[in-house]
Amino acid sequence: MIETLGALGTGFAVALQPLNLLWGLVGVTLGTFVGVLPGVGPALTVAMLLPLTVKLEPTGALIMFAGIYYGAMFGGSTTTILLNTPGESASIATALEGNKMAKNGRAGPALATSAIGSFVAGSIATVLLTLLAPVVVEAALKFGPAEYFALMVFAFTTVSAVLGASTVRGLTSLFLGLLLGLAGIDGQTGQARFAFGVPELLDGVDVVVLAVGLFAVGEALYNGAYQSRLKETVEKMSGSIWMSKDDWKRSWKPWLRGTAFGFPFGSIPAGGAEIPTFLSYATEKKLAKNPEQFGNGAIEGVAGPEAANNASATGTLVPLLTLGIPTSATAAILLGAFQNYGLQPGPLLFQSQTELVWGLIASLYIGNVILLVLNLPLIGIWVKVLSIPRPQLYAGILVFATLGAYSLHQSWVDLLTLYLFGLLGFAMRRWDFPVGPAVIGLILGPLAETQFRRALSISQGDPSVFYTHPISACMFALTAAVLVVPWALRLWRRRGAGAP
Amino acid sequence: MRRSRAEIALSSGVLALGAASAVITVQLPSEGGYAGIGPNFFPAITAGGLLVLGAWLLVEALARGWKDRSPDAPELRGEHAFHAGAFGWISAGLFVHMLMIGSAGFVLAGAVLFACVARAFDSRRFVRDACIGLVLALLVFYFFVKFLNVNLPAGWLSPILGAAGI
Repeated sequence: MIETLGALGTGFAVALQPLNLLWGLVGVTLGTFVGVLPGVGPALTVAMLLPLTVKLEPTGALIMFAGIYYGAMFGGSTTTILLNTPGESASIATALEGNKMAKNGRAGPALATSAIGSFVAGSIATVLLTLLAPVVVEAALKFGPAEYFALMVFAFTTVSAVLGASTVRGLTSLFLGLLLGLAGIDGQTGQARFAFGVPELLDGVDVVVLAVGLFAVGEALYNGAYQSRLKETVEKMSGSIWMSKDDWKRSWKPWLRGTAFGFPFGSIPAGGAEIPTFLSYATEKKLAKNPEQFGNGAIEGVAGPEAANNASATGTLVPLLTLGIPTSATAAILLGAFQNYGLQPGPLLFQSQTELVWGLIASLYIGNVILLVLNLPLIGIWVKVLSIPRPQLYAGILVFATLGAYSLHQSWVDLLTLYLFGLLGFAMRRWDFPVGPAVIGLILGPLAETQFRRALSISQGDPSVFYTHPISACMFALTAAVLVVPWALRLWRRRGAGAP
Repeated sequence: MRRSRAEIALSSGVLALGAASAVITVQLPSEGGYAGIGPNFFPAITAGGLLVLGAWLLVEALARGWKDRSPDAPELRGEHAFHAGAFGWISAGLFVHMLMIGSAGFVLAGAVLFACVARAFDSRRFVRDACIGLVLALLVFYFFVKFLNVNLPAGWLSPILGAAGI
């Protein structure tokens, strides 16, 4: 515990250096600005801004990313409340009540409760991250390649099969990502795979090109084709940004409950922030003094889910930093950012780059404060961003998107790949394939392959290592359970319903 | 229940992708790795997975249709019918950008892309949009190249940009 505090202290010393503070500020501002843009969620924000950091030194760049991460969530909430277009499925709960509040002239309190709730949740969650990380790292030091492989397989399964309407489509998205991840040169043998002699492919498919293609180009194509002629109503910024005493009274418990829901779900590979935000919404509705207000703008319905969303996002950093396992598309892109610097998050990183990791964690605290202090008063500016007309908005997004893709190799091949991924993203959106698993498959697939081969080479070709090691066996059992149990339950229920 | 042609087509697409991957995998060597796991092992699993999933999707599509999909009729989704014009303009913009950027440079290509995408969303003032795009691309170019050392081509504008010290 004392060690942890000492490490955190070192982290603060790093994060509070003027240059790093500046990077944090830049990150928060950029993240909020891009996050406010309609149709741009946190994953796309991080992906589009990643090329910015290519030439910066790692600590500053990663601190900037922490700022972007939080800023994007804050910006996204603003858009959800005022525009009723949730940027991601975790924002649907916020949209339900938040937009109603805005329509009732209470946009200010909605935004305030969202911002303060996110601050509370983020701060508590960061403390939990600080406490939990060393514990997980201790345990992870006992992990060998077999355990890592099993954990990655479990993560693959939960990410593609737990949520969403269809397990098959989720798995298809995952395998597409895995296939793309295979393109390039095999690290262990130098063999070129799926590269077709194209030099840009030999380098592998970049996560930025995939994410930006799927999210930005795909979204632009989809919106243009199916939504561009719809009328959009942007609610005016109304009501004071300062919440009334009653608002505070009704918000603070949902904030805490939301955090309690969000952090655990975020920190295990359980597939993202949808579950905790909906759980929070349902709970707040049940516990509210005036449940009939729900559906018409109940502040509890914004406070809880927003806190849950933010706590979950921070929770995602636990497996990412301690194990190197991304459990969301955004986390997968952050992992890509680490890899750009040749850093592999995990227990070894905690030991070899203490300053960097703890500097990053410390900057999460600071980023949270900057976000609240800066963005709440500046909310008027962010709201103005929402009034950028749609044609110019998407045009600007795509100019940025091509920037990122082209800056990789200065090659038109990357732009063509970007467009093809855009078509893929369009198709996935239109025919209900979840996009997250593809991004996670791309980044995590190669890592899983490495662990698998390492495990087998250590055991000298003996595959039983995967089920004789207890942790590994456990993970595989859980994976099987996740796949089989829901299906079995459905079958059992159907049989039960048909019984005389 | 009417079968959806799109579902069948997409399922077949996944199946075809799996088959193509399998064909490529077969040509990969299996030696070179440790313990009998060569560079072809994971490709084989991935190809196999895609084949299985493609077949499953096809079976679902032919039987009762894919599970739990959002409705095909745009009105039921709160959207309008497929607007080919928008799709076409965005695609055209991206293609022209792709062709132009190497020679004409980031700024000019970006301006054209901006104008095309704005047109896709029914903005009729092409010249005005091109000018906005030009300014935006110029600002972005300046910021990224000067401050962040990102490598972007100046193209036809290099004499001007070079004179400005970028």
